[in-house]
Amino acid sequence: MLEICFSNISKAYDPGLFKKKVQAVSNLSFDVRQGEVFGLIGPNGAGKSTTIRMLLGLIRPDSGSILFRGRPLRETPIHRDIGYLPENPYLYDHLNLLELLTFCGRTSGLDAKAIFERGQGLMTKLNLLNAQKRPLRTFSKGMLQRAGICFALLHNPSIVVLDEPMSGLDPIGRKMVFDLVMELKGEGKTIFFCSHILNDVERLSDRIGLINRGRLVRLFEGTDFSRNDDKTVVLRISELDATQRHELQMMGGRLRQEGVELLLAVPEGSYYPINRYLEKQEIAVLGGRSEWVSLEEMFMGIVKEEAA
Amino acid sequence: MRGMLSLAVITFKEGIRNRSLFGIALLALFLFGLNITVAGFFMRDIGKVTVDINLSALNFAGLLLIFFVGINLMAKDIDRKTIHLVLSKPLSRSQYICGKYFGIQFFITASLMLLMVFSCLTVALLLQLYPNYFDGFSWGIFFVATFFIFVKLWLLSAVVIFFSSLTSSSLITLIFSLATYVAGVTIEEVVFYLKTELAAQERIISESLKSFIEVISWVVPNFAAFDFTMEAAHGLAINTDRLMVSFGYGVLYSAILLLLASLIFSRREFN
Repeated sequence: MLEICFSNISKAYDPGLFKKKVQAVSNLSFDVRQGEVFGLIGPNGAGKSTTIRMLLGLIRPDSGSILFRGRPLRETPIHRDIGYLPENPYLYDHLNLLELLTFCGRTSGLDAKAIFERGQGLMTKLNLLNAQKRPLRTFSKGMLQRAGICFALLHNPSIVVLDEPMSGLDPIGRKMVFDLVMELKGEGKTIFFCSHILNDVERLSDRIGLINRGRLVRLFEGTDFSRNDDKTVVLRISELDATQRHELQMMGGRLRQEGVELLLAVPEGSYYPINRYLEKQEIAVLGGRSEWVSLEEMFMGIVKEEAA
Repeated sequence: MRGMLSLAVITFKEGIRNRSLFGIALLALFLFGLNITVAGFFMRDIGKVTVDINLSALNFAGLLLIFFVGINLMAKDIDRKTIHLVLSKPLSRSQYICGKYFGIQFFITASLMLLMVFSCLTVALLLQLYPNYFDGFSWGIFFVATFFIFVKLWLLSAVVIFFSSLTSSSLITLIFSLATYVAGVTIEEVVFYLKTELAAQERIISESLKSFIEVISWVVPNFAAFDFTMEAAHGLAINTDRLMVSFGYGVLYSAILLLLASLIFSRREFN
């Protein structure tokens, strides 16, 4: 089931008097499915944050439509279902985290008990429990980011929209957020996020959309990118027919055509059955590759190609 | 409603914990102290000068609170994009406007109530020290004059909210609000002057300028309507009708400004 559907949306900004309009998003179409982690990547100024802000109703598209569970955005009260973390969340300096979460819970219709329980749980997970009564102005950048995540998740939304969730976090903070996103995914929540940290996007996402200059350049499915599994063996193999492709994928192999080369990524648990299958089917192994081309390499390649 | 009240509460807390508040309170307390120290220099006018200084100090402190703290309570939300986070919650833009307004109103009222206690103590002390020089002084009129300082500041808060809904910078909001206040305080006197014979002899004042000022006088809030300092200082009786009209004017004007701010804000985009 589709949770969010962006259909041919365009948005141009007016930078000021006598200046040409800047096209932030142009005929962008993609969808986010229920229960999946959808990562949106792209260079600075590609239109990622604009897309997220249009979804939240902070800005309106010039053309096109955004559907939320099949209904136009304007006709649907979405804010109870969405938890949003903006890039660099600026929170109220003189409030403490407990007060901020109380505000969040009350606006979302939670009672005091639910606010307390959810708040304590999130603060424990994100290691903010000891800082809950400290003014937010004394928080470090990473702590503010984690506080923003608590703010986004307090009302237990079914869709979580994160704009650069790992920004400003140290490795421990990143791990916390990573684990939290995986936990949310395990709970069946839909996660739509954008990030510059491609390694994290690659590890977290089921599907990835690459946008450049406001257009969707490519949509990667799960088999297109590696999961950063060091024990994966990558082989160059001869051509396959459709049945062989399907059977190899069923055994856990991932296939990718790179120019004239057909690459097969074999995860650790599938070494033996895939090897047997290759022998049985007399599929020639032409060589090996030390690594699967990472999302970062693909990203750089596509962006350079677009710029040329 | 719940969301709006929650926003008002955090706006109030954000304002009341601002360090600028201590500076403004100290300045007001200094003025009250100065009043006690120099009161003896004014001979027979001690009562009038005391009331005048106290009401002016309250008014001045209120203006500083709005211009240095109140403006930031909404304009900074937009400036720093905190509004993205707030509007991602189930809170309509009209509720946001009203929540911010009531938060600023609570903050101004609470801060000035505290200063009012010190102001009353100052007046009471001088009343004890110089009882013969407070002819006609009435606590009732003094409180009425103080109450209308509050009404004036509530209206000014609505002006601040209105300009914050239009602009993206707290500095521009400050400039517009300050200009509106200065125009609102003086416009009544300007219009009055233009109607005198002396003004009629001035060739430089064209008919179109007069018409323009007449229009401005209807658009800009008349802050002079809330000034009861003279009545309080001289112990003059105040007409109930005037009180009702002034209060009604303040409430109605604030409501119109908030309505306009809500309309503008609901159409606004936040990049």
